Parts: sequence; structure tokens; C-alpha cells
Amino acid sequence: MAKRKPRMEVSIGPMTLKNPVMTASGTFGYGEEYAPYVDLNRLGAIIVKGISLEPRAGNPPPRIMETEGGMLNVIGLENVGVFSFISEKLPFLKRYNVPVIVNIFGESLEEYRRVAEILGRTAGIHALEVNVSCPNVDRGGIAFGCDPDLCYEITRTIKAVTDLPVILKLTPNVTDIAELALRCEAGGADAVSLINTLKGMTVDIEKRTPHLSRVTGGFSGPAVKPVALGMVWEVVKRVSIPVIGIGGIMTAEDALAFLIVGARAVQVGTANFVNPRATMEILEGIEAYLARHGIQDVNDLIGSLKESGE
Amino acid sequence: MSGSGKFHIGRVLSNRKLAEGHYRMGIAVPAAFPEAAPGQFVLIRVKDRSFPFLGRPLGVYAQERGPGGSRLEILYRVAGRGTGVLSLLKKGDALEVLGPLGQGFKAVRGRDRVVMIAGGIGIAPLTPLARRLCAKLPARATLDFYYGAERADFLVGLGTLRDTCRSIRIATDDGSRGFRGPVTDLFAGDLKNYPPARTVVYACGPRAMLKRISELLAGSPIRCQVSVEERMACGVGACLGCVVETKDERKPYKRVCKEGPVFDLNEIVWR
Repeated sequence: MAKRKPRMEVSIGPMTLKNPVMTASGTFGYGEEYAPYVDLNRLGAIIVKGISLEPRAGNPPPRIMETEGGMLNVIGLENVGVFSFISEKLPFLKRYNVPVIVNIFGESLEEYRRVAEILGRTAGIHALEVNVSCPNVDRGGIAFGCDPDLCYEITRTIKAVTDLPVILKLTPNVTDIAELALRCEAGGADAVSLINTLKGMTVDIEKRTPHLSRVTGGFSGPAVKPVALGMVWEVVKRVSIPVIGIGGIMTAEDALAFLIVGARAVQVGTANFVNPRATMEILEGIEAYLARHGIQDVNDLIGSLKESGE
Repeated sequence: MSGSGKFHIGRVLSNRKLAEGHYRMGIAVPAAFPEAAPGQFVLIRVKDRSFPFLGRPLGVYAQERGPGGSRLEILYRVAGRGTGVLSLLKKGDALEVLGPLGQGFKAVRGRDRVVMIAGGIGIAPLTPLARRLCAKLPARATLDFYYGAERADFLVGLGTLRDTCRSIRIATDDGSRGFRGPVTDLFAGDLKNYPPARTVVYACGPRAMLKRISELLAGSPIRCQVSVEERMACGVGACLGCVVETKDERKPYKRVCKEGPVFDLNEIVWR
């Protein structure tokens, strides 16, 4: 007889996910792009590309540059806008039995509020992830996310217009990320997710120009993992809401480290670009690890870090 | 519900240096790899290596299908550290091959004066197109191939091309073979001989070459399709990293991996 599979359900606020493996916004399109590679039904949740009120064209090319252990991007939140998302992209996702979390973005508090309100009354959406951390746009994004008081205000504003669970996605480009998380918690956030990309830059030394059209971009990939893990650890210690770990997760081993440190779930991002089946391999790897260690419930692993010397 | 999509594990069969910095790689891919249309590409990554981190988009130069799978041929030039790593691969090395990807070249009905313009390694996606079109070109139709490179020994694949095309015109920057100067100057000199309403041009090469073609053909009814390059990450249309600027005001940025790599010349904003 086959061994009983470990229990993989985790809860994020009022939401129960069948497992802790989600896709990170901006790295999985609207889900359909990866449907030939991934059984979407097996994902803990799909977080779609960041959605704004109106469609956004994004930034001019060049938009990406490879680096050691990762990449820089300046996509600039290109997206179809909330109305086209609902009419053209959401119907595809509704055919699957997977929670859909919509990442939302605004240039103003009012835009965040309106997008949240519209999505809040749309069937088939399970939660909102609020992007207060994009480094690649002139207004909104990181401009809000670096200010703890604005994080608080955005959280309150969005919670006031929707019953959906609200996750705040935080930027690492600050002095104290835990302070941001605490303010989001105070504002009523159901969870926080971190980290978004780190601000970075590369230079073409022959032309003496930046490689990217906006000079600096967001750095992601395996090279950022230790930074992300350290920040998740700092935040987990300070808040009582669930923390979702993001940053350079390429393998099950990477994901397990975030869970052990205390992340309730993880998001797989840049890894999708390198291996379109990364989420599936990570999910299977976590299950195998739990089975190997005789852990019956993934929740017994979450936050189980032993701090030596303390 | 889902399989591995277009994701395949391949093996290097050969990796031969043709000229300084120019290589031809043979790759065995499983039978699940479908027939690539001329102009389609693959995203190639060295398996289990952390660098290059991202795959490299490379045009399919040739494909031989057999019962057990295909032999893909890739023609590439070392442009940086990533392609440098590819050039060091040996027979038997494992690759991750995503593809075939993108939209290839399209035949244009009623255009029986076919012109192809290749700059350097831009020969790669045009060769299978030439082969395909030659096989079914009507009797009255013509196919003229313009091929430019920095110097004579960089005219890789010329032998293969000769088996396919009767009319090949060559330009080299240093004059070591054929016309001395840009291949677009050679083409410009012949342009008046092509009846615009019957001519179609297919081109692939450096951006400056394509831009020059757009200037030469500005306002002309000659139809032209170009294959363009951009740095790419996912290859499946999700990351929106590989875009080119187009004249479509509603959606100015189009994905090379999905809507491309072949675009109508007039669709693109040539800066």
C-alpha cells in the first residue's frame, strides 16, 4: 500500500490553499501562457500579472538583462487593464479549480481603491495582492511601498471596499521591511508577501550606456534568495499575519528554506522563465521531503527553524 | 491535462566551428518536437548550469525528422558569454530546448519575385525558407538571395545555400568577396529591377540593416517581412521582456517570442 501523502493545505487569512506553491505576479502571465507546461489545478494559487485600472503599454525596450544568478527587468507593469482582464483573461482561469489572486497596481490611492472595488465584486477572484513595490514606474508602486504610513493607508482603503483577502507585496528597497509589514498588519492586511525585486543596474561598457531603457531595473533570480530569506525571517518574527516568501526560489530546497523560516506559502517567479515546469517540480520536491522526514503536515514544518545559540 | 508542452531535453550531436566565432550545432530532440516552420526559433539552455541563466533564442537552421526524433541544426555566432558557453559544448551534452517558438515567415500570394536579404548570422532562419520556397516556386518565379557579411570566411552556410538558390549576390564589408560594402547597398542598386507589386522581401540581420531596408522600401508596395532579435527570458509570452516597438497605438509593444520573431517591416518603429 502506498504511503499516505503528507497534508499540504495551508491557510492565508480566510483562504485555504491546497498547497503552499503559488506563482509570482509578472512571471506567469495570466496563467494561460503556462497551461501547456503546468497542470494549473495543482497550484496552490495563481497570481496574475499586475492589473491597473486602464491598460498600460509598459516601458520601451530593452526591458531585460541577464546577470550572474538572475536578471534585471523594467517591464513597467504592461497589462490589459482591469476590464479586459475580467472579460478576456479571467474566463480561462475560471475553468480551473485553482484560486486566482489578482495583483493590483495604481498610480494613486484612488486607482488602487477603484481596481480593488471592481475586482471585489467580480466572481472567480479569491484574493488581491497589492503591489506597493514595483521599482519600474514613475508613479505608484514603490513610491507608496517605501512609506509605512502610506502602506497603512492603502491597506485600509482597500480593505474598506472589498471583502476579499488582501495581501500586501512589499519592497526590499527599504531600511526596515518589518516596519512596513507591521503597518500593513495594523491596516488590516490578511497577509504580506515579500520580496519584490531589488533595485539594480548593469552597464554596457563598450557603449557606456545602461543596458535597460530606464537605467535601473528590478533584480530577481537565485542571487536574491539569501536577501529574501533574511527579510522573511525578520518579518515573521514581528508580525502575526501570514508571510508569503518570494525571492529566487528555483528548487524545492529553496522553497523549503522559506517554509522552515516561517513563510506560510511561497511564490515561484523568475524560475518559471528558466524552467516552465518549475512550480510542479517544487511542489513534488516539497512532498517528497515531507515524506522522507516523516512529516505528515506541511504546517508542522512551517516556522520550525531551530536557532542555535539563542 | 498538461505535459511538457514545447519543453524538450536535447543532446548535442555536433558543435563545429565554421569560422572565427561562428558555429554550427547539431542537436538531437525527441519525436515530440514538431516540424519547425521557417523562421521559428528555439530557446536553448545548457542543462543543470547556472550560467547562462536564461536560454538563448536561436533560429532553426535545418531539421531532419526521423522516427526516433529530429536532428536540429543551429547556426550561431558568439556574441557574448552566453553564446560563448554554447560554443564549448561537446557531443553528448544535455540541453533544454524550448520550441519551436514564434511565428515564422509567411508566403505572400501573387508575389513571384522573391528576394531574401541576410546580414551575417541572419542567414540562419532564411535558409530553411529559401529551401521551402524553392521547392514550390512557380516556373516564372525568381528567388534572389543577397548575403552580406564582414568578410568572406564569415559567409557561413554559403555552400548549403548554393544547393538551394541559383541567384546569390554577395557583399562583404572588406571586399574580400563580392560587392564591397553593406548588402543593403547591393540590393539598393538592383531595386529598380523588381516590379513592386510582384516583389516580396524576406530579411534577417542586424537592426541597422533592417532599418536601412525600411528606408529603401519606404512608400513602396513591395511587401517585406523581417525577423528581429531581442533579449528574451521566458519564450512563452509571459514575461513581456522581449518586446519591440510597433506602430500599433493600442498595443505598441509586441512580443518577439509570440507575435514575432517575424514581423511586417512596416509594423515596426525603426529608431
